[in-house]
Amino acid sequence: MSKNILLPGFREPPVDEDFEEFYINMGPQHPSTHGALRLVVRLDGEKIIEVVPHLGYIHRGMEKQAEKLNYIQYIMMSDRQDYLTAIQNNLGVCLALEKGAGIGVPERAEYIRVILAELSRIASHLVFYACFGGDLGGQTVLLYGFKEREMIHDIFEEVTGSRLTTNFFRPGGSNKDIPDTFVPRVKALLKHLEGALSDYDRLLTKNIAAMDRSVGVGVLSKEDAIAYGCSGPVLRASGVSYDVRKNDPYSIYSSLDFNVPVFYNGDCYDRYLIRFQEMYESIKIIKQCIDKIPNGPYRSKEKPIFKLPNGSFYAATETAKGLYGTYVVSTGGNSPYRIHTRSPSFGNLAALNTMAKGQRLSDLVTILATIDPVIPEIDR
Amino acid sequence: MGIMPFIPKILDPVPGGKTIVNMVDYVVNWARANSLWPLTYGTSCCAIEMMSSSMARYDIARFGSEVFRDSPRQADLFIIAGTITERMAPAVQMLWEQIPGPKYSIAMGACTISGGPFRYDNYAVVRGAEQVIPVDVFIPGCPPRPEALFHGLLKLREKIMKESSRNVWKEGALSESEERNRYKEAALAWAELEKIKDEEMALAREQFKTNPPENYVPYKAVRVQKETFPEIERVNIQTQGKSVEELFKIAETYESDIKIFDESSDILDIVVSKEKYFHLANSLKNDENIKLDYLIDITAVDWNDHFDVIAQLMSTKFGHKVFLRVALSKKEISDETKATSILASLESLTPLYPAADFKEREVYDMFGIYFENHPDMRRLFLDENFKGYPLRKDFTHPHIIPKPV
Repeated sequence: MSKNILLPGFREPPVDEDFEEFYINMGPQHPSTHGALRLVVRLDGEKIIEVVPHLGYIHRGMEKQAEKLNYIQYIMMSDRQDYLTAIQNNLGVCLALEKGAGIGVPERAEYIRVILAELSRIASHLVFYACFGGDLGGQTVLLYGFKEREMIHDIFEEVTGSRLTTNFFRPGGSNKDIPDTFVPRVKALLKHLEGALSDYDRLLTKNIAAMDRSVGVGVLSKEDAIAYGCSGPVLRASGVSYDVRKNDPYSIYSSLDFNVPVFYNGDCYDRYLIRFQEMYESIKIIKQCIDKIPNGPYRSKEKPIFKLPNGSFYAATETAKGLYGTYVVSTGGNSPYRIHTRSPSFGNLAALNTMAKGQRLSDLVTILATIDPVIPEIDR
Repeated sequence: MGIMPFIPKILDPVPGGKTIVNMVDYVVNWARANSLWPLTYGTSCCAIEMMSSSMARYDIARFGSEVFRDSPRQADLFIIAGTITERMAPAVQMLWEQIPGPKYSIAMGACTISGGPFRYDNYAVVRGAEQVIPVDVFIPGCPPRPEALFHGLLKLREKIMKESSRNVWKEGALSESEERNRYKEAALAWAELEKIKDEEMALAREQFKTNPPENYVPYKAVRVQKETFPEIERVNIQTQGKSVEELFKIAETYESDIKIFDESSDILDIVVSKEKYFHLANSLKNDENIKLDYLIDITAVDWNDHFDVIAQLMSTKFGHKVFLRVALSKKEISDETKATSILASLESLTPLYPAADFKEREVYDMFGIYFENHPDMRRLFLDENFKGYPLRKDFTHPHIIPKPV
């Protein structure tokens, strides 16, 4: 008879019958769980045997509430799922609605969409950079990462009227046109950002403390990354070149020239590097678009009441976290019969146990930081 | 509280003692108000704005609150940043209890004032932080800007500066204090005033109608030029990988009695029977020409008489997607227990896709569909003893406030 009693959710058999394992509870209020996430860690000494995430501490019942909202009102809900990439979530919802209603998008709107989405990707990755450094114990990095992000948010505020929860895109275009100051501002930002990024690169990438704590830590193999449904940088750091922008293009991404960075070790360091590379790629995309924004309408014809025909529609976007899918089931009314979000962080978190197994407890924080989860997006 | 309550008792009767008490109070309050240490707590969007306010540009250190403490035992300010859900509420309460007094709290954002965007038609959100713990300052906004947070901090500072050792802070003092009662009285008095104002306005309107002023010109609305937008034809982007027909032809070789759910869709949506669902998924995963190795999601739809479970599969090699759809008829059960019991079951996909683990648990949690052979069939988001399954169409919950029309 073993004295080790397994708590709910744990599956591994006891390592040693006589050895007493113990459990550590992390969260739901913990500085490095990035929100209201609760992890129960089963330990053998300092070695992790198993991690079980307990979700739902920020489950807000969005999908149920959406059944009472109309389609345009639901766009507001998507802001509050992943608030770091709110504008990309708006885009994801709008793509599904456009697909259902068969609405076309004018060229100017497509350019606005791509530029704003890529700016949002940079902002989100900067938060990752800051939190990654902060979780490793580098407060300086935490302060720096937020600096350039504020500049991006200034642009967002000017264009959308809000810093975080933008609620900007609509089926067929966007809510408003971009102001005249948009293009010079973005150009000034890009000019500044390149220098800033190379500074940040120097600050952390070859930092011996950061490398010691992330190289070879939390390795996720290619097979596991696919099997657990990881997406975005987590998937690509494990050697799978899948990016929705490239493999299932939407908007005008198929006409743009950019690379999908792929790394092959699948450890925390690669997940960090890949996000850094993606910021450079985003800058590349914005540079291609910013001079080519055509004149013309910024949205197509508005309908007085937005309705979808009978049927179910699925559209995917690549947000900074990964594959963001929206599945809408309509019965012909002006509110969804069922709307479901495939959130990228949810898939990435599923692989946490595989990554953390056999690592030290302190590495769990590093691994969690490189997954870059946003908990409200998981719980919805 | 130590010595503080005794100072006025001893010094107030002495001539000139009241001034000394006031001075001591001022110094204590000044120190307290200028070094509020907040607790690192955040659940959603407001947490990011709270972080922004402590970082480079906004720099909360200017207000003496930069020392974000990770442990509640070292903090004295609780910034409730983000929605409080019913599952999180006990944790919030516990954190508040763990903070040693004197302690203060700021409710940041619309969710902590009234539930914000989640107030109506929602079963999971606590409508306002005041339902859980006493709150000193409310900051509206969704999310509030960092400047708004600073404004809230300054308001709290004003409040602290008014404290006195004659009426010391006590545990639970805020919820049952004079100040709180005063607030209630003020709210009632305000309501009275509003009523009087409404009556007066109605009277004035009546008078205006019967006896308008001499130089009165009726208001004419300015016609706002409405922007017109052209109708633009949709350009359908070619889907990746194999075409729907090709995929269906290959799938038909494994199971003959399958059909396409929606002919017009650009994604193959196969309707398959409950018995052949797992077998077909297995075959399609291992087929070299389809190779559906990636599970996007598993979700379900409640069609009143039956459930549809939809497994969304994708190939990372080719890029095509295939949806497998199973119609599950609901069990015949008496109406009283229908809402709280499991009505259907299906074979789990976890042996093929480990990703199905969480996703099937979500479907179980939201719809009450049981997955056989699943290693760990527990609720995912909601509490174990939560009654009912929210995403069913007949779901009701006592905490739902219907939206007034």
